[in-house]
Amino acid sequence: MQEQVTEKNNIITLEDLRPRREEKKTFSDYFMPRRHSGILFDPKKCTGCGTCEMVCSLRNVSKIAPASASIEVLRDEENGKNFAILCQHCRKPLCIEACPTRAIEKGEDGIVWINKLFCVECGLCIMACPEAAPLRDPITEEVNKCDLCEGDPLCVEYCPAGALTFTKGKKIRWIKGLRWSVQTISFLLLAVILVGTFCSLKAGALSLSCPAGILQNIASSGTIVLVWILSAFLILGLTILAGRFFCGWICPFGFFLDLVDKITPKKIGWPSFLKSRMAKYGILAGAVGGSCAFGFQAFCPVCPIGSICRSYGATGTLNGANLGIMAVLAGLEVGEWRVWCRYFCPVGALLALFAKIGLIKIVIGANQCKKFSCIQCAEVCPMGIIDADKLREGISPVIRMTECITCMRCIDRCPYGAAKLRFRWQKAVPGNIEL
Amino acid sequence: MTNGKDRIAEAKRSSGAYGCVECGKCVAVCPMAEMYTNFSIEMSPRGIIKKTLTGNDIILDENIWYCTECNAGTDVCPQGVSCRDLIRYLKEIAIEKYAVKDIKYCTRCGKQFLSIPVKNFVFGRLKEEPPNVLNILELCPSCRREMYMLRNA
Repeated sequence: MQEQVTEKNNIITLEDLRPRREEKKTFSDYFMPRRHSGILFDPKKCTGCGTCEMVCSLRNVSKIAPASASIEVLRDEENGKNFAILCQHCRKPLCIEACPTRAIEKGEDGIVWINKLFCVECGLCIMACPEAAPLRDPITEEVNKCDLCEGDPLCVEYCPAGALTFTKGKKIRWIKGLRWSVQTISFLLLAVILVGTFCSLKAGALSLSCPAGILQNIASSGTIVLVWILSAFLILGLTILAGRFFCGWICPFGFFLDLVDKITPKKIGWPSFLKSRMAKYGILAGAVGGSCAFGFQAFCPVCPIGSICRSYGATGTLNGANLGIMAVLAGLEVGEWRVWCRYFCPVGALLALFAKIGLIKIVIGANQCKKFSCIQCAEVCPMGIIDADKLREGISPVIRMTECITCMRCIDRCPYGAAKLRFRWQKAVPGNIEL
Repeated sequence: MTNGKDRIAEAKRSSGAYGCVECGKCVAVCPMAEMYTNFSIEMSPRGIIKKTLTGNDIILDENIWYCTECNAGTDVCPQGVSCRDLIRYLKEIAIEKYAVKDIKYCTRCGKQFLSIPVKNFVFGRLKEEPPNVLNILELCPSCRREMYMLRNA
């Protein structure tokens, strides 16, 4: 240690003394990710009694002194509103960045706390926090910040109105589990058990077909068979009912891309000149036009959904050419999540046309969204259609259902219940906030 | 209205600056050494106390604006000198007597709440944040809490 210091010309930086803790993602973080622990506050229930301040100060300084609490109740007497300011235990806390002595730490349990051994009470954490949640005691000038009472918050326990609730630790998200199991089952069904069946399946009187394939069939043969349209209508009907539900929950290639994304969680970005979401409609039109000209289904031989269905042969062999298409498109995943689905998939384009007149929509209300810096919904969106900047400004983003694949990741992830599934005719996005 | 020299003398008396023995313990713990690359003896609490006791131009000195008014130096001082109180008084006198450019005003309520060098440090640490978050940080803490309440309540 002594030698290391002399090599650096006797300058010891804070990096040597208190190195930052590196984030480690464990196995369970991928499969059962934590919902960040913290206290949720419901302004409708709060009566402004200040019990939380009292019990908090009792723990902080061993006396009833609301000024030295780590929670502050703001009372708007004119409008009869009460609001509690408390630390939200951000995932990427700005206070940790700003602290000059690195006294603020985020533990493995997700709790952000001030280590009083190193705190010099400079108050820069207050200046860096968008909510100004660390509070300065006006008498002793100590900076107090909620540390969740090390996992058992007193304010939650004593709140007489039940306005504060504590969420912690791992929580199995039921939508996530349901989606992954549906995706796995449909992948096994379509790609392994009933080989090559997504494109067309006949079981007695029942027949199912890919709608884009049917469109190419019609174009190439020049005839319309009623059975074809009926067989395509199952997926199209599902799309009108539930948006592009097929893409998010059933499509075997979408499932494959979701799996690839588990391997490449870091994205390097996608060139902006290829960022046109209209390209997929062009490919769809080209496929139909090509079928018309050549007299056979122009796109189906290279369709990734079809090739994933055909790659596993009925005799137990793997089809090399089809696997090649999959490998190339999986390589695109290092750019962005679900690149193929976002920009190119003609099947998705056809479904998007029907989702436009669909019955459901997803709304994210900026009023319910409690944080300036959370934006987890935009991070988990596989199609990247949630406008994080607008959300930060307090404007409810408009979610285009033509692009949304109804995977409901945003609904599952939001800790405040701001993302919701609504019918088309229900009241639109809750109002914006003027900042 | 007392004049400037009397105010400074009172600041020196009430913060106990006359007792300074120049041991340098406050410099050893001062977080400014970590915050600014141009940290020097003039900027350190010991330098400021010495200049206050000897010279007269301390109020116009820009070095007092680098201080974060933390408690570290006061905590370790063997003589009980409060460098925080001294610098705070000096800043108050400077704001009252001169039009000071080194201070950040809240964009909503107009209150002065931070000195510019400290603000630059905080914004330098947070430069990767999106501009919307940084716009919020232009407000003073009580305004921020109020905005947060107006937004969510």
